[in-house]
Amino acid sequence: MAPRILTARFGVPGSHTLEVARACGVYADLGRVLRLEAEAIAAQVRASGLRGRGGAGFPTGAKWGFVPPPERRQGRPVHLFANADESEPGTFKDRVLLWHDPHRVIEGTLVAARALCCHRVWIYLRGEFRFLQERIDAALGEARQANLVGPDILGSGFDCEIRTFRGAGAYVCGEESGLLESVEGRRGLPRIKPPYPALVGAFGDPTVVQNVETLANLPWILEHGAQAYRAWGTEASSGTRLFSVSGPVRRPGVYELPLGTPFRELLEGCAGGLRPGRRLLAVLPGGSSTPLLTAEQALGATLDHECLEALGSFLGSGGVIVLDDSVDPVAALANLTRFYAHESCGQCTPCREGCGWMARIAARVAAGEGRQEDLVTLEDLARSLRGRTLCAFGDAAAAPVLSFLETFRPAFLARVRP
Amino acid sequence: MNRVTCTIDGQTVTVPEGTALIEAARALGIEIPHFCYHPHLPVAGNCRMCVVEIQGSPKLEIACNTAAREGMAVRTDTEAVRAARRANMEFLLANHPLDCPICDQSGECLLQEYWDAHARHASRLRDPKVTKGKRIDLGDDLVLDQERCIACTRCVRFSETVTRTGDLVLLGRSDHQRIGPATGARITHAYQGCLAEICPVGALTSRSFRFRKRVWWLEEVDSICPGCATGCNVRVCVQDDTVHRILARRNDAVNRSWACDEGRGLYRELAAPERPLLGRVAGRPAAREEALAAAAARLGSARRPGLVLGGQATCEALLALVRLHERALPAARLFHVPGPDPGRRAWSDGILVHADKDPDTRGVRLLATCAGGVEDGEALARALADEALDLLLVLEDDALGRLGIPAAPGVVALAFHGHRSAAAAEVLVPVAGCWEQDGTYVNAAGRVQRLHRAVRPAGEAVPAYVALHRLGALLGVDLGCSTSEAAAGALAETISGFPREVGPEGVVLPPPLDGGTP
Repeated sequence: MAPRILTARFGVPGSHTLEVARACGVYADLGRVLRLEAEAIAAQVRASGLRGRGGAGFPTGAKWGFVPPPERRQGRPVHLFANADESEPGTFKDRVLLWHDPHRVIEGTLVAARALCCHRVWIYLRGEFRFLQERIDAALGEARQANLVGPDILGSGFDCEIRTFRGAGAYVCGEESGLLESVEGRRGLPRIKPPYPALVGAFGDPTVVQNVETLANLPWILEHGAQAYRAWGTEASSGTRLFSVSGPVRRPGVYELPLGTPFRELLEGCAGGLRPGRRLLAVLPGGSSTPLLTAEQALGATLDHECLEALGSFLGSGGVIVLDDSVDPVAALANLTRFYAHESCGQCTPCREGCGWMARIAARVAAGEGRQEDLVTLEDLARSLRGRTLCAFGDAAAAPVLSFLETFRPAFLARVRP
Repeated sequence: MNRVTCTIDGQTVTVPEGTALIEAARALGIEIPHFCYHPHLPVAGNCRMCVVEIQGSPKLEIACNTAAREGMAVRTDTEAVRAARRANMEFLLANHPLDCPICDQSGECLLQEYWDAHARHASRLRDPKVTKGKRIDLGDDLVLDQERCIACTRCVRFSETVTRTGDLVLLGRSDHQRIGPATGARITHAYQGCLAEICPVGALTSRSFRFRKRVWWLEEVDSICPGCATGCNVRVCVQDDTVHRILARRNDAVNRSWACDEGRGLYRELAAPERPLLGRVAGRPAAREEALAAAAARLGSARRPGLVLGGQATCEALLALVRLHERALPAARLFHVPGPDPGRRAWSDGILVHADKDPDTRGVRLLATCAGGVEDGEALARALADEALDLLLVLEDDALGRLGIPAAPGVVALAFHGHRSAAAAEVLVPVAGCWEQDGTYVNAAGRVQRLHRAVRPAGEAVPAYVALHRLGALLGVDLGCSTSEAAAGALAETISGFPREVGPEGVVLPPPLDGGTP
């Protein structure tokens, strides 16, 4: 029976309060963990195989390894940002996690901060999450009162302050350097790299940006050990993760499953399968920026990095968007391209010009005013975006275009004039 | 400083560690196309034009933000690079307005040049272009066209790091993004010309140059700005003996790639209505030769002459005057009156502008040393008040204006400007402005820099050293300054260590040759 690492307190009344959270085991192990050597914590995290849950899936332990150790920082502080910008279409697990279990997230950030010898943590919330900021600030208030945040936490000698920070409404502020620009009071335009945030991040200091779900795993990993975490999942995708399931399923929502679980189980076991009379058409497995899986591919897939990458897609944010046969793929693509056109920060040439252009073509095609040459242009533009942009947004915008055109070519051809 | 060796297109180059590939390539004479990169602005990496292929790297990398490393193998000419450039040009031109026929940038526009060199595609846009603001009045000499803008952010970075005014920003997102004034107010700083210059397209243009001249007619002459003691390096753009604009010329030691608006506008003095184009003797217009004869007569008969060395004069003219003193008028007193002329403000900023509005004050000090010293403005004021001088020869500067003296008897003025000293002069000889002659200035840092003649002197004006040489001849002495070569040679002869040849970046002389205070 897979452990409920992330959803253990979902559904418990008052789980967002310190009293109930503590009764459910949150902070129980914190005093011990904070007294460990930083390297000991980092070693556990590396051994656990934990990978980022925001979208890129980068190994967490390796990411921390890029930050210079205290003796090589020239006196500069390290900053840790818990990324709750959650804007990937189809993804809503971070908000649910923070709503039901803010204390676990706080605890996770403290474990990471200890490992990084970092004393300043920000929880970056997308601009629209004011309701979450209130709840988290209340939790932080409780935590401070209880000596769980602030100076000398639980007598460990470790100081750590945590603040929330709200953006102003931009998907691109979920990109780590866009987030940092936002925090510094500027427009969220991603930075060119090098330099990388681990060396030059917020305010010029070494910085780590980590998705909130990633951080929420840390207390469990430290409490039960890396091997216990590895007991779940696959070789390259250990542990469990949250999946956001949306679409015409009986029970859309957030589900925690071990990585490597067959997609069938998520769809039918957890989400109750498709609503009556609907047939599966395709699945976007990790948010709109991940290439489509056909129904056949999806039903044969397991939800882990290896399998999805072998199928030409990837795990991404775990935002599982289920498409059924009532979906008009041409209209769906027009919808998606409009999103990327709206969210492009506008900094670099291909994305700035390309996203708007692709959205206009897709809209025109969906409205029945397209020609075959438009499909050629559309595909060309998406190919020209991939790998050529200042940040990964370009790849994200190109993915649905190429994926939909490939998977649903007959539908597109039928929609255009020769 | 470590140096690293890498290859670019098969050629080997060794550069200091940390050098960006775009500069390493430039060292080999390989120009990698780019819009947003500028050697004197922070790297932005947003135009994506300078992509190159690096062995071992799966993706193309931008050359402006990739440091050369030991053993790196770079190619700028592969099919992948070419395809990326073509695609990039297609993106840039998709929404770009077809303004070429009315756009001042035509002929020096990177979109035009790179389309021709790297794209040659026809548009396949079938949707309406994105439209934005046009002909926006951004500053006294600045017009903004938001549609033409390619969002390279050179202007934004210039406003952040050079003028530090932060008054130009990006507004909006996606392809609706535009450049605009930060708080809606106009740009009021003194570097609007630089903004127009660094803009690679016709988004930011100079209002004073608007629709004035197609750039392909212009010839560029390297010279020095006469506006202040900084001595910014400039290019004077001319056609048909007319100056149409001033552009900055890069000199990393003096003005980087910048020039201020006041300096850029000074060439208009060439056509100022009050500029003396003819000589004048006793209130009547006179041909130059007649004026010179009258001047020689006055000088010859003066018993207590005074000579004013002007900071606006070239070293050649100052040398001629010092030789005139030495060889024909040894009893004359020498003066130097620091400025500025009335009508100029002695202001400075920490960027380029120097409070000393004379371009050759150091030249004056250098030549004054050769002459055995000069007296200052106070001394001259006293001498005039005490009627201690029966003749005052003023070389270029408005000595009377600077002293606040309305008039004085016996003034012989060699003047480019129609200033107070020129107006009060009994004898006026018109001399050339800096754009009308070869010459030398020594800037505030002791750097010797050469002017080059861009247009022929107007009216009867001649370079001051020519006029003085003629004066000397009329007084029976050979000053050896009849031509620019002769005058330049005379400088090198007279001042030991003064260079005969000076390259385009000038040369800093060691003290005491730098004209610094002893």
